[in-house]
This record gives sequence, C-alpha cells and structure tokens, in this order.
Amino acid sequence: MIDDTCHLDVPLPASLPAGTRPRVLVAMSGGVDSSVAAAMLVRDGYDVVGVTMKLFHDGGEVPDRPCCSLESVNDARRVAEHLGIPHYVLNLQDRFGRDVVADFVAEYAAGRTPIPCVRCNTFTKFRDLLTKADAIDAPFIATGHYARVADGRLLRGEDDAKDQTYFLWGIDRAVLARMILPVGSMTKQETRAMARELGLITAEKAESQEICFVPDGDYVKVLERELPADAPALMRGPIVTLDGTVVGQHEGFARYTVGQRRGLPGGSHEPLFVIALRPEDRAVVIGPREALLGRGLIAREVNWLVTTPPAVGAAIQVRIRHRAPPVPGTLVRSDVGEVEVMLDSAVHAISPGQSVVLYDGDVVLGGGVIASGRRVLPVRAA
Amino acid sequence: MTAAPIYLDHAATTPVRPEVFEAMAPYFGPRFGNASSTHRWGREARAALDESRERIARCLGAAPDEVCFTSGGTEGDNLAVLGGWRVLKAKGKTAIVSSSMEHKAVLQSVHQAAKEGAEERLLRSESNGTVSMDDARAQIGAGGLALTSVMWVNNETGVIQPIDELAQLTKAAGGLFHTDAVQAFGKIDIDARKIPFDFVAVSGHKFGAPKGIGAFFIRRGTPLEPLFFGGTQDRGRRPGTENVPYAVGLARAMELAVEEREAHWITLEVMRDRLEAALLARVPDALVHGRGAKRAPHILNVSVPGTDSESLLMALDLQGVAASSGSACQSGSVTPSHVLAAMGVRADLASAAVRMSLGALSTPADIERVAELFPALIQKARGLAGVA
Repeated sequence: MIDDTCHLDVPLPASLPAGTRPRVLVAMSGGVDSSVAAAMLVRDGYDVVGVTMKLFHDGGEVPDRPCCSLESVNDARRVAEHLGIPHYVLNLQDRFGRDVVADFVAEYAAGRTPIPCVRCNTFTKFRDLLTKADAIDAPFIATGHYARVADGRLLRGEDDAKDQTYFLWGIDRAVLARMILPVGSMTKQETRAMARELGLITAEKAESQEICFVPDGDYVKVLERELPADAPALMRGPIVTLDGTVVGQHEGFARYTVGQRRGLPGGSHEPLFVIALRPEDRAVVIGPREALLGRGLIAREVNWLVTTPPAVGAAIQVRIRHRAPPVPGTLVRSDVGEVEVMLDSAVHAISPGQSVVLYDGDVVLGGGVIASGRRVLPVRAA
Repeated sequence: MTAAPIYLDHAATTPVRPEVFEAMAPYFGPRFGNASSTHRWGREARAALDESRERIARCLGAAPDEVCFTSGGTEGDNLAVLGGWRVLKAKGKTAIVSSSMEHKAVLQSVHQAAKEGAEERLLRSESNGTVSMDDARAQIGAGGLALTSVMWVNNETGVIQPIDELAQLTKAAGGLFHTDAVQAFGKIDIDARKIPFDFVAVSGHKFGAPKGIGAFFIRRGTPLEPLFFGGTQDRGRRPGTENVPYAVGLARAMELAVEEREAHWITLEVMRDRLEAALLARVPDALVHGRGAKRAPHILNVSVPGTDSESLLMALDLQGVAASSGSACQSGSVTPSHVLAAMGVRADLASAAVRMSLGALSTPADIERVAELFPALIQKARGLAGVA
C-alpha cells in the first residue's frame, strides 16, 4: 500500500500562485531509490523533471553501477517514460573529474583516505544540479538520498541502516530550503515495496556500496592510471613499527588505509594493523589494535548546516564513518573552518581524509574532513 | 496554458510529407512484391523501383545506373570512404583527405580506414567554418591521394564548403571525391553534370522521406568495394532485398525538394535571418557560428557566453521549443562539438552552442516567439552559470 499521508516536510513556497505545481528537478541515477523519489513527487503533484548525471566516461571499464553506465542511464530514462516526465542526461564529466576524481587521487597521494561521495554531493549533486534547476525555473531539487529535511535542517534518515547523512554534511546550507528527499522517511524495504507496487523496472536492482568510478573496488588501479609513474605514493617505502623499527618494505603507501590488516608482514604474536601513513618518509606505520584507538580529532573544511553552530563545550554526537553509530563527545574548539572534538570514549581508526559528522540527536549540525586523530598511544615521528 | 510546441530541429529529422506517405502506401499492401522475383508481383515492384531510381537520378543530374539505394547518410558515407578507399589502397594509393568538421559517419569511416593503413589528412578550418583552401591544395596535392571526402553543408553550422573547387583539385590529383550532402540536398543544386564528384550521400529523412532510406550516387566507372555481400541487388554494390516502398517515397520526396528548392531557400533564409537579427539585437554578445561564411539557410548555431547548452536545451524543451546542440552521444548527453572545436571556438563557448534548424514546419510566428523566449531563458541560464 502506498502511504497516503504526505511525506514531504517542505512547505510550498508562498510566492507560487495558487494552482501552480512547483517544478522539481530530480536526479535519477537509474537506481531504485531515486526512481521511487521521482515517482513520489509525481504522485504528490509536482511538475517533475528528471535528469541523469553522467559523471565519468564509461568506456566499458566500469560494468554496471547505480550511476553512469549506459545501462543505468537507460533505466532512468525508462522509469521517466513510465512516469510520463521529461528526462535529460547531463554531461558533468569535466566537473566531476575536476571536483571529485582529481581530489580523490590527490588525497591518496597525500596519505589520506578520501570519501569522493562527500565531494560529489557537495559540488556535483547539490551545486551543479542547482545551476540547472535555476535555468529551468525549478524551485526545488530532489534526490534518492536516505536523509530528511525539515524546517531548513538536515535530519538523519528514518532507516538507521540506510542513513546517508554522513555523505551530505558538505552541501551549502542554503540548498536545504530547496531540497526534497522523498525516500528519507522510509526504510529501504518500503522503498522497494513501493517500486514494485508502481511497477518500476528498477525495483529489484541490486545496490552497490562501491565508489562509482572505481571498477571492482580497486582504487589502486585508479591511482596507477591517474598518478605519474614516479609518484611517491606508489613507490617502495618502509614498513615501521610504533617505535620506528623497520620491519619490511611496501610498494607504495597509497595502497594502504588506516585500520587495514591484510597484506602486512606476519610473524608477530598479535594481529597487526596499519596505524598511520607518513608521506614525509613514505612510511606505513603498523602496530597492535589498541594503537588505532583515538579519543579526539581535528577536522578542517568544516561546514555548518545549522544557522547557529554549537558553542564550544557543547555535548554532541560524533560519527567518524558511514554506518558507525554516532558516539558522544564534546566540541572543544571551533574556529573558522576548523574544529576540535573530544570523544567520551576512545574509538578505532580515526582516519585522516575521512569525514566527521556532528549531530544533535537526529539533526545534522555539520561536518568536516578529519585532519588528524588524537591518539591514545604515541607514534614516534619520522 | 502553454503555446503549441515549436520544432526547430529540422537538421535532425523531418516529418514524412503526406505526398510521400501517399505514394508509398500501395507498396506496403497490394504491391508488396520482391523486386527480384520474376512473377507479376515481382515485376510490379521492379517497375516501381526502376522508375524511382530514374526519378532520383534526374534529381541529381545522373544516370539511373549511377544511383544506389542505402539505409541513409551514414551508410552512404561508409560506402564511399571505405568502399572507395579499399579499391585504391590495392593500387598503392593510401591517403584520405577529409576535414575535421565532418559528420562522425565520415570521420569514423576515415579513422577505420586509418586502422587499415590509410594516411589520414584532415583539413584545417578557417574560423568561419570553411575548410582552408591553402591547406586543401597542399594536402590534396601531396601525393598518394586515394580519396577526398568533404561535406557539402555542415550539419552544425550550415556552412557551405567549396565542393566544386575541392572536387576539381581531387580529380586533378587522381583521387576519388566524395561529398556528404545530407544537409545540402534540397537546399543546394546537386548536379553530377556540373561538378565532378564521384560519390554523393543523401539521406531521405532530412527532407520528408522516412528514416532508413538514402540515395547514393556513384559516377559511372568508379571503382567501389561493397560493404555488404550476398546478392546482386544494386549491381552488387548494395545487396539485400530492396525497400521498394521507401524507394518510392524517397523519389517523391526528392522530386518535391528539387521543385521547391529555390522558393524554400528564400522562405527559410528570411526566417533564419530574422531570428538571427532578433537574437543579436537582444543578446548583443551572442556569437553566431559560421556567420562570415556562405551558409545554407536552415541552420542557426549560436553561443551565448556564460550559459551552457544543456541548461538552455532543457529550458527550451520545457517551454515547448525543440532545438539541439552539436551532437549527442549514445546516452543522450551533450558532448562538446568537434566542429566548433575545429573552428577554434573557445571550449566554454562551444559548450554553450544551441543549434536551431528551420524547415517545413517553421512559421514566422514561431520565429517571433523564439526570438522573445530565447533571450529570456538566457537571462536565467546566465544568472548562475559559471558560479563554479
């Protein structure tokens, strides 16, 4: 059964004359979530225009992904045809390459572990898309993200397992007033059920947790393609323990991520993990699991999604990776674009380059890119 | 309520003319025979096919045996470039001269020939969109020439190329000359008795015949290796059961286009010039591509700084106006135009290009409405475009 109660918290703008259906530009990836999002908007009487963003060249290299493959564009178009709405394909390859892929490569080269989806949302989906919306007089944009918007604030999705706010902290706060996230109030199961009910061809489509432009999850292949052959990040370097002892060699620190266990030298009586990457001397620092523990962090590129950011000393909830539940903490410093956060209890693998998102209950306060973690155990410098 | 939609994409395709539809109709039903059959049904189809071929030949100043039926412009271009080049390659001539502004049907055929050993010589463009004749003289005369292929009218800009001169140069150099006349037929007088081209490709759906039929001219005695094998239809140059109803339709559409050509040119030119003048008056920094060159009268290609084609085409479409950008890729997304790039148009301007192409459906009222609407949409697209 389709839920008849209106799920949309966004009020219609008062400036629209009565009887006018506001236009909404919906980003359709060809996946089930955005298909249902478009269908719900049609049902609710919006003047819906669908677009699929072509983000990178799909020269057969990336088989089928929720976005970008020809197959996915076709799926999105078939759904739009089914719904009776116009559908366009936007070529954002240049912008995506510049804003997302180039940054992804640069971050790995600098020894950090980036999240391209954050930058894609920040720049591509909620900035480039808005430009197109303006050009066609659409007051609203919509996507199939699992998050909610209410009173100009971004809230966690109803489905805890699917909540995607971790990837949305970077968007311009002003966008919230124009953003509609129809599936954010549903669970994934409900979304699929609705897709089946509406007869959408994408109803049973599998979802991918992988990065759309990284074939088979092999990000190193992307780095090898994009970086020069003599890039330090892909050159041999030492594997060192916490006290600085060299215990082996690796073929490039960009092949490792903090918290990783696989591919490290054996022979130790306890399991070893990557504790840090040190581009200065191309070192991969390894150690026992407790060395991954951190009790605080410094984040940069901070973006607030609330009009009044929390004051220093405020109790907040902190999420340092997608799907990890937010943990309690305190904002201990807040400068322009930079914050420091202390956690009530230590957590594992606070990785530079990953995002930190700050919450007050369901409300997303803001977020930033982790610059460094505050470790429980010391690591000797290079 | 929104006004009636306006179709300004005649360079993409046109509706089948009622006269054409009517002429074709009997050959789907009662006269359905296979033109290769010896019985009465076959003879009836054969007669229609022969007659169509004669009528098409007359439209091109050609003899009937110089006309071959194809599926359209792409096939004609492939047949000329690959079929012509492969014969001459066997005789030791390997160079193909073409231009970087050709339709992909020619460019990709040339690239395919290059994979098979052709030497690719692409002519430079002047900034107004005509090929550089200095370059043409040098490249055509550089020896080893197998074939030259230059389009008569550019599909993105409407610019007319000096086909007569290029054909003369090519013949003097001992090469074969092909022209993609897909946008030229019905606008320009194409007469095999006046210009020494060897091959011409024409596509029916650009002037009121259905999609999937084209005429291909091969000058008598010109060697050609077929692309398809399996039958003797069209003298083995294009085997496969002939599409008799479409051949009949093509003949009718070509005759009508030739009859109306001069009047049609004037009608379109008046409207195109009016639209161009109105846009330039209201958007003074708009750039009309190919403006300094001789242009066919049905195409207006314009870029406005600070906008992008995608947004404008969406906005136009949502207002009921059908236009296009340079070329669309398989997924339907807008890709930067290789034609404008070859003309030296800046990348940001090339990616703002909007092509409006006029034709049988166009009316002066349409033109006035678009002249009002387009500048208004420009304002919106400009409002935020380029913020990044």
